[in-house]
Amino acid sequence: MAETYPINIWINEERFKALEDAGLARLLKEELAGMKVLIVPCTAAQRDKILKLFPTAKYDEATTKSIELLPKAVKDQIYNLVVQRKSLEVMDEFIKQQKG
Amino acid sequence: MEYIGHGGKPLVERVTADKSEAKKKIEGLTKMPASRQMATEVIGIAYGFFSPIEGFMTKADVDATCKKMELADGTVWSIPIVFDISDKEIADYGIKEGGSVLLTYDGNPMAIFDVEEIYTYDKEEIAEKVYGTKEDKHPGVKRTYAYKEKFLGGKITLVNEPKIRDPYKPYFLTPRQHREKFKEKNWIKIVAHQTRNVPHSGHEWLMKHAYIAAHGDSPVEQMESMGKAISGVLVNCIVGEKRAGDYIDEAIVLTQDELRKSKYFRDDIHMVTMTFWDMRYAGPREAVHHSIIRTNLGLTHHMFGRDHAGVGTYYHSYQAHHLLMSIPKEKLSITPIYVLEWAYCPHCGEVTCIGLCGHWDELQKFSGTKIRSIIMDEVKPTRLIFRPEVFDVVMDSAKKYGFGSPFVTQEYLEKAKPAFSIEPL
Repeated sequence: MAETYPINIWINEERFKALEDAGLARLLKEELAGMKVLIVPCTAAQRDKILKLFPTAKYDEATTKSIELLPKAVKDQIYNLVVQRKSLEVMDEFIKQQKG
Repeated sequence: MEYIGHGGKPLVERVTADKSEAKKKIEGLTKMPASRQMATEVIGIAYGFFSPIEGFMTKADVDATCKKMELADGTVWSIPIVFDISDKEIADYGIKEGGSVLLTYDGNPMAIFDVEEIYTYDKEEIAEKVYGTKEDKHPGVKRTYAYKEKFLGGKITLVNEPKIRDPYKPYFLTPRQHREKFKEKNWIKIVAHQTRNVPHSGHEWLMKHAYIAAHGDSPVEQMESMGKAISGVLVNCIVGEKRAGDYIDEAIVLTQDELRKSKYFRDDIHMVTMTFWDMRYAGPREAVHHSIIRTNLGLTHHMFGRDHAGVGTYYHSYQAHHLLMSIPKEKLSITPIYVLEWAYCPHCGEVTCIGLCGHWDELQKFSGTKIRSIIMDEVKPTRLIFRPEVFDVVMDSAKKYGFGSPFVTQEYLEKAKPAFSIEPL
């Protein structure tokens, strides 16, 4: 399997309900004593584009091996795309939207 | 009373508290503005946080620090404390070896600087020896390369004490005041928790682990009786230069104290203070520096966890432990307590030490970055991971001090009020 550089979107009750209604609750992983997280995969190229688009974000190579510190509004957009497309493979479309 | 600080030497206090005496001392001196970085170091030097150093380092001390991790007199020392200056400033202010200048901050008199030496030092040498890298993406190296072309060495005397703003004011104690406070509390063993973080449960357990280790050979009765503790945890928050994405300092100090206020620690066991220091992220060398500061505060033990004061992947997880272990005990008069990570184990249903739990495949490790990500998503973490009272203080601090964010933003960097100011004398 190709290496991924994921974005973790943490799920509150509101987000959870929307995912459940869309039949996507199965995509969630449980972490840290019952917290739910949606792990959206990115390729290395997508990671680099995201870090360029959002300079406050960083790829945490040392601990989580994921793209962290993305603003909430950005994660909301990614989350909404996942719900709309009913798929985790949304990063190309998301990046395209930002450039448009 | 004379207190003994690092290196077995008297605690340095170079402060003229009497204003009329201070006014006389500064008469006729040339005024030279100090940067925020230098003003922060002046506070560290003058109150004795950096004892036995009495001023900015001379070349011999910088050289010994870089090459041998000690001062010229052999005292263990790991990070150069330098005053950088340009040739133009030297000319403009007429700086000469053997002369004195008045350092100002906020336009007001702050400290007398008796200049003993004007010198140059290879910045790459500092970078390589102190940080173990010459890469300028390392924040400590970046700071080093940004120093101006010359350095001034010489003693400092604070003539105008800083005014600490709220909410920091109750948390700022000088080394002498720390020691007086410990005496008042009857604390004999005191373990330091160095922090630049809002606490999650992993941090809380590290503190508990360190407390129990430090208290281990003491009578339990004192621990059993509320109000009679003879050992304590001192959470000493580092307040200084910030980077975008860090927690704001106000949130750090207030959330750490919330652990006591919400009784996750007893009142008589836990205390929060702060030290002005710009993190250099020097990993193992910075761990030694933190030991020195906490020795000067009068602490007996210091907890060191994973990747202490590190950044990125420059140092391995327990490199700081190994450097500290290499220093002879008589050279560093504080006992290190080395702690492993604590993590959440779904099998045990609790936060546990990774060195004790056998469910290695199931452990869910804490990560400061991950917790920051959860908070940024405005999701309230489960109470086993992050205390709800602490979460509320984080969010409250964001509103009151962080322009809506608990993390340092460009707006915070530009608009937040400095933690200290120098008023007219």
